[in-house]
Amino acid sequence: MKKRRWFINLLKEEKWLNDRLAEGYACRRIGPLGGYTFEPSGRRMVMRLDYQDRMSAGKYEDYKMTYADFGWTLLKGSRWGSVQYWQKPADGRDEIFSDAGSLVAFYKRLTHYALTMACLFFIYICAVFNGRIFNAMFNIKASYLTDGLWEMEGSSFWRAFLFETPFAMLRFLPAWIFAICCLMCLYSYYQYYKLKKNYA
Amino acid sequence: MKHPLLPLSETMHYILLSLKEPLHGYAIMQTVEEMSAGTVILAAGTLYGAVENLSKHGWIEPVPGETGRRKVYRITQDGERILEIERRRVEHLLSLYETRDLHEET
Repeated sequence: MKKRRWFINLLKEEKWLNDRLAEGYACRRIGPLGGYTFEPSGRRMVMRLDYQDRMSAGKYEDYKMTYADFGWTLLKGSRWGSVQYWQKPADGRDEIFSDAGSLVAFYKRLTHYALTMACLFFIYICAVFNGRIFNAMFNIKASYLTDGLWEMEGSSFWRAFLFETPFAMLRFLPAWIFAICCLMCLYSYYQYYKLKKNYA
Repeated sequence: MKHPLLPLSETMHYILLSLKEPLHGYAIMQTVEEMSAGTVILAAGTLYGAVENLSKHGWIEPVPGETGRRKVYRITQDGERILEIERRRVEHLLSLYETRDLHEET
């Protein structure tokens, strides 16, 4: 079974994945663009998501080795500052954090991650839209570049309008997509921040 | 100023005590489970973070000459010093349990 999903909040992604596993599946592969491959599984599986900042090759080996010794299999992850997807058969010892200190440290890493992502999206939209982000978002007419399009009438208008709409959307939608990403990152930041405060 | 890791959390305390003998990651978890009579069961992420933190401060170190893929750690002299500080703190607390037990005196 293949599913395509896109998450910004890591905790929601973890919840969604575990809901699938609870239906009797095991996750076999996680693609780079939000494609999840599941297969039926006789054993009840659990997944836990961790986030780690960039680390040296040696440290990453130690990290993976520690988790592997506890029975976790790495489905996806890298040492370049990324989410680490761990899966194992459920056996009652299914958490990756066992004390408040390490949980706070985890939420701290998440808030940094969310804030970094929000900043990156913000820089990206500023660069791509030359700082005229509000113009790009709200002036939809400016996305149409055909000369005199808005003065045309009747069928010639509709033909030119419909012809250009896909191209105009390519200019218009990214501004919205990235602005929404930016807001979602800030929202995740806030949620992680609240959780962190519960434990610290 | 007092060290930011003091007083030691239960996790750190048990790990430092367990590393009076050289152990690798998973063996630390097993030893701590045994030492604590099953009350402290370290999870993978917590153990990794604690070992990272303790070696960063030089309280534990990888044992040189170990050839396996798993790093084997043991406590350092700095670590022993920290345990000595903690022993005094815990002993003092324990003595308070005795002297502040006002009910028994009356």
